[in-house]
Amino acid sequence: MARSFKGLSALLSYPDENLLAATGEIRDAFRAEAIIDAAPGSVMDRLLASFEEDDLFAAQERYVELFDKTRRLSLHLFEHVHGESRDRGQAMVDLAALYERGGLMLSANELPDYLPLFLEYLSTRPFDEAKALLGDTVDILTALEERLDQRRSPYVAVLTALIGIAGRKTAARAVEPVAEPELSDLAALDAEWEETAVTFGPGEALDGCSIDRLRMQVRAGRRDVRQARA
Amino acid sequence: MSHFLDRLTFFRKNVDSFSDGHGVVTNEDRSWEEGYRKRWQHDKIVRSTHGVNCTGSCSWKIYVKGGIVTWETQQTDYPRTRPDLPNHEPRGCSRGASYSWYLYSGARVKYPMIRGRLLKLWRAARAVLPPVAAWASIASDETKRKSYTSIRGHGGFVRVTWDEAYEIIAAANAHTVKAHGPDRVIGFSPIPAMSMVSYAAGSRYLSLLGGVCMSFYDWYCDLPPASPQTWGEQTDVPESADWYNAGFLILWGSNVPQTRTPDAHFYTEVRYKGTKSAVVSPDYAEATKFADIWLNPKQGTDAALALAMGHVILREYYLDRQVPYFEDYARRYTDMPFLVRLTERDGRFVPERLLRASELPGGLGETNNTEWKTVAIDEVTGDLVAPLGSVGYRWGESAKWNLEEKDGQGRDVRLKLTLAGEGAEIAAVDFPYFGQRATEHFVATEHGEILTRNVPVRSLELADGTVIKVATAGDLLMANYGLDRGFGGENVASSYDDDVPFTPAWAERVTGVKRDATITVAREFATNAEKTNGRSMIIIGAGMNHWYHMDMGYRGVINLLVFCGAIGQSGGGWSHYVGQEKLRPQTGWTPLAFALDWSRPPRHQNSTSFFYAHTDQWRYETLTAAEIISPTAPEGDWNQSLIDYNVRAERMGWLPSAPQLRQNPLDIARLAEAAGLSPKDYVAKGLKSGEVELSCHDPDDPANWPRNMFVWRSNLLGSSGKGHEYFLKHLLGTTHGVMGKDLGDEGAVLNKEVVWHDEAPQGKLDLLVTLDFRMSTTCVYSDIVLPTATWYEKNDLNTSDMHPFIHPLSAAVDPAWEARSDWDIYKGLARVFSEVAPEVLGVETDVVLTPIQHDTPGEIAQPFDVVDWKRGEAEPIPGLTMPAVAAVTRDYPNLYARFTALGPLMSEIGNGGKGISWKTQHEVDALAALNGVQPSGPAKGLPKIETDIDATEVILMLAPETNGEVAVKAWEALSKATGREHVHLALPKEDEKIRFRDIQAQPRKIISSPTWSGIESETVCYNACYTNVHELIPWRTLTGRQQLYQDHLWMRAFGEGFVTWKPPVDLKTVPVVKGTKPNGNKEIVLNFITPHQKWGIHSTYTDNLLMLTLNRGGPVVWISETDAKSAEIVDNDWVEVFNANGALTARAVVSQRIKPGMMLMYHAQEKIVNTPGSEMTGHRGGIHNSVTRTVLKPTHMIGGYAQQSYGFNYYGTVGSNRDEFIVVRKMSHVDWLEGPAKDFAPREAAE
Repeated sequence: MARSFKGLSALLSYPDENLLAATGEIRDAFRAEAIIDAAPGSVMDRLLASFEEDDLFAAQERYVELFDKTRRLSLHLFEHVHGESRDRGQAMVDLAALYERGGLMLSANELPDYLPLFLEYLSTRPFDEAKALLGDTVDILTALEERLDQRRSPYVAVLTALIGIAGRKTAARAVEPVAEPELSDLAALDAEWEETAVTFGPGEALDGCSIDRLRMQVRAGRRDVRQARA
Repeated sequence: MSHFLDRLTFFRKNVDSFSDGHGVVTNEDRSWEEGYRKRWQHDKIVRSTHGVNCTGSCSWKIYVKGGIVTWETQQTDYPRTRPDLPNHEPRGCSRGASYSWYLYSGARVKYPMIRGRLLKLWRAARAVLPPVAAWASIASDETKRKSYTSIRGHGGFVRVTWDEAYEIIAAANAHTVKAHGPDRVIGFSPIPAMSMVSYAAGSRYLSLLGGVCMSFYDWYCDLPPASPQTWGEQTDVPESADWYNAGFLILWGSNVPQTRTPDAHFYTEVRYKGTKSAVVSPDYAEATKFADIWLNPKQGTDAALALAMGHVILREYYLDRQVPYFEDYARRYTDMPFLVRLTERDGRFVPERLLRASELPGGLGETNNTEWKTVAIDEVTGDLVAPLGSVGYRWGESAKWNLEEKDGQGRDVRLKLTLAGEGAEIAAVDFPYFGQRATEHFVATEHGEILTRNVPVRSLELADGTVIKVATAGDLLMANYGLDRGFGGENVASSYDDDVPFTPAWAERVTGVKRDATITVAREFATNAEKTNGRSMIIIGAGMNHWYHMDMGYRGVINLLVFCGAIGQSGGGWSHYVGQEKLRPQTGWTPLAFALDWSRPPRHQNSTSFFYAHTDQWRYETLTAAEIISPTAPEGDWNQSLIDYNVRAERMGWLPSAPQLRQNPLDIARLAEAAGLSPKDYVAKGLKSGEVELSCHDPDDPANWPRNMFVWRSNLLGSSGKGHEYFLKHLLGTTHGVMGKDLGDEGAVLNKEVVWHDEAPQGKLDLLVTLDFRMSTTCVYSDIVLPTATWYEKNDLNTSDMHPFIHPLSAAVDPAWEARSDWDIYKGLARVFSEVAPEVLGVETDVVLTPIQHDTPGEIAQPFDVVDWKRGEAEPIPGLTMPAVAAVTRDYPNLYARFTALGPLMSEIGNGGKGISWKTQHEVDALAALNGVQPSGPAKGLPKIETDIDATEVILMLAPETNGEVAVKAWEALSKATGREHVHLALPKEDEKIRFRDIQAQPRKIISSPTWSGIESETVCYNACYTNVHELIPWRTLTGRQQLYQDHLWMRAFGEGFVTWKPPVDLKTVPVVKGTKPNGNKEIVLNFITPHQKWGIHSTYTDNLLMLTLNRGGPVVWISETDAKSAEIVDNDWVEVFNANGALTARAVVSQRIKPGMMLMYHAQEKIVNTPGSEMTGHRGGIHNSVTRTVLKPTHMIGGYAQQSYGFNYYGTVGSNRDEFIVVRKMSHVDWLEGPAKDFAPREAAE
């Protein structure tokens, strides 16, 4: 399954001549490994076709417009979880350590939480392990999928494919689904957004960032999407 | 229930208890603590600071773990102060504490970016052409050019490699230099003090190129022109620790806890010591809670309040009773004893200029610069004398420029302050009064346009036989304040309750402040100063400086301090901490920054005049000189347009010009040679004949456009760009929100000096390049965006005016993604430029025009009347009646070699600043030993400046503030002029040499230097003008004293000889839009005020989620409950704010804090976060500057006149913005404009 992950990683990277030249190869890999639906007419097929048909400049402008300029579509995973928080630094350190344990050192001038980089790492791992690691990110992937879908971007295909591999279901370890009150119910909204007092003891702060905090971050991400729709 | 099953049989839960069973010791799993432990683990700690435009200069510990910055904490190892003084630390604020987020933020610029359309054009052209020709093919094809300039601000970016980006920029620069001239390459970067090397990187590149460095302090309107006018000093202030020495402290329009957060503790602490504090602020600002007494004048009326306080102080401490300390101070340190000529008009008199020795028989025994030696009367002999210290003594002779009580022949003198006394002649003198010119929003008081007051005078016979009347500046000043001294006549008051300018009762009408409060504060302020010899201090905020007539408010406040002898005394003085941040090692930095080691002079430009002309804001000018001219103005053609005034100032050598000449300055030398003339003579002759033209006469002609522009360390378009929408329309040529008509459409073109084009240019710039670490508004509008290193990723220097330490910025980690430090970026560009340039450029002679500079012998150029060579009133003589002309050799192919080595002029000419100079060979040798020398090439044998650390060492080695040996040399150099010994101030530190690694180990206190007017000492805190008062070094003004009377013709013409009350001006931007596009909601008109905010430092941090969360998550404006009610706006409503200049959208914060009649919008909330579309313009709502437009003031253009001579960021027009009024109304439809952009030049054009 290595080549599929690598293919998805490439598709989410900044498009260049090499990518445009490799769409056939990616298509073949998807077909061969068959964990991704790239059948003619599928969204993935449209994405691949867009690289084949579009001018490189247009593809690059599209990529920058989507991923370099908007924080809501950031491909840095922890942007969505930790945002501006100090916890992000530690989270990245942990992730880099994970890669090192897997025998890989970062060579590109990129952060460890960059999704294409993460996918490349997955491409080097046994499929079950890769699938489990991917599962940890499925909430973020889902949010990105929703946002790309709203913009009618064919890039949504990559996220749909990843969620398909991981299994479409919120990973319960860190992020619990949040019941979202009606926007008009201001009291409920306030209650929902209020941070609970910090309690010290086993459980809560195990990763140096509380469940509450994660919940808030994810919720903040979702709210944006909804408001933009309004 | 028995809980049997809950009870343990074989175990017990706790292992012990303590405190009588209140505490329990447990042994449960403690692995959860790992999370916290891990959080505080790190690989290393690096010292850095935040190079943001802030006076903080706070030392921070940056924690790095696994190559990633994980957090920062405040550093607490500052050198201690003294036993009786609190320490400086910890320094920092919530904004700095959230900086580490920026490194990895989604808002970070990660790669060099370029507009896709431009890159496509470039690659197509480059495939067939060499670089410069490729750029020429794009820039000279209007369709191609427009295809990318018209979409500025509308996306379309792609990534580009560094090499390609460099090549495009280098080719554009080379083409511009060749085709138009190097003065068409412009660079804007502010506040070098916040990261000196980063500033110097760009300015060094530009200066080697012949490009133009733009000023910022005046443009930001943080420069108080009152400071150069009064002291001949840009701005010098006490360090914050000196607040602790004050006995009475006024905060006047300054919000210390909010905007000077790291220093606010001194303010808290001094109150514990018993110091009383008054806060003057129209709104209930955060600082107000510190006040023992709060004065809340109507916004914009501070001058009236200050005048009334001055009235009280003069009455009670100068007239009814004389305080010996005050009188002595006024005699020795102010211009009050100096004689002012009076001219007769309609049987009355008008104060004219200061009398000069040259006008008197025998020049009072003086022979050198007698036109610049001012005159007073010796109290003992009654003789007229020319006391030491005036500017005439500064140049052309030595050892006489000091404040000893002597005249030029060495006689002791004691200057007479007043001519009042037995047998004094009394004359009626006219003073202008502007109070009745107030608009409907302010209180107009009817006291007549001219206030005639009786003043004691004396008649004198001049050398030419004419007899004139003179009065002392002090007597005129008393009359100006409306004080009844028993001379009879009108317009003077003996009671504070008289409604006569400028009594407390009068001020109550104008400002709304109760007279008792005014009297109390004035009295306590002065009484404290009397008892403590001047320990009364005023911390003043730029809020007061941002009004069109800012000089009145500032001079009003400065006068209070001078009257009380508080200037130059520890614990006293004028504390204006805005926008400069004090570049402490200035004279070490200027050679690096402006490449003075290779060629002199550099090209500098005052930004306000530049942007006024080149963003075409002048085309919309609504203010006429007739509205601001004084009723007592001398005869003359005063009713000219403001840009005409500026053009006259440029051609008379007062203000700089950029671009300078219509002709390419590289061609001038060739033409001069062909004509057999020196460039100097050729330009002078050519200007007279019309063969050579100054660009300023036609800023809209493409021959005179600026073509390339760099912006670095700045958010010019998102923060500081007054008249934002005019920038977009005319300089950039993209979508804009300008709603007003220009003067052509209005049929109101008034200008005679400047050519009017019916069609205004749109898009003057061929290329806009911005360096930033985050995608700011300026980046969004740029053609090329280069990713810079953050403040934790580069090595640099940082200083502040708030404390005397020098700080490093240190690279804790390598720049993330493809970012590079500013030094590396410009160095890389220099390298590629040198490769590209030979296609069109070689070694060239560039002819550079510079205005007459302050602190140079040239500053005494035009002693009496204003003479304009263009009007045939004089010959054009470079450096005297017109700009100076110099030929400078540019070696374009070796620009890189020059960039990376310390050039030969440091050895050949030496170094210096502020009018003194010294040899610096020893430092050059030391740098060669320290940095190494270039082994080969054109800079062979010269000290290397390869890395940013090399660059810091150049600054530190050359500056007296960081090299004790240089400090000693500098004080010795000053002693030559003053004839007094000053070297004791630096001798104890002669062996101290501060290096970059030293300040990384600990912030270091700088060494006392004559560049500054305060000293570093173990006994006093740094305080401005300390050396003037205690070392008797003159102020760098006409009289050498604090100049309370401004005698230049233009100052008198505009009624600012003495401080007076001038209401805000009418910019007329509301009627043209109010009610023109109704949306069904009520529209009200408010005054628009833009103070510094709490959730950002200017625009930095305003896109930070932490800061957004603490505020309302997007742009907000504050209005009063009263105004909100009348406009039917409730808190958090979306409102639109607009006038002829443009529109902005924001949420309303409705608060009791705000004074009715004003709207407060903290600058600078950018339009990149949560900004919906405007119902007025149909485009995305703008920023705070979308509703402003800059307006020039002629008095700020004066030059060639001692302290009123040009200096970069020292004097010049300032970008005021608080006289604006706006319409506000609730929005009916909030449109986020989420769809694809439309209405642009088609993509095909690019193909």
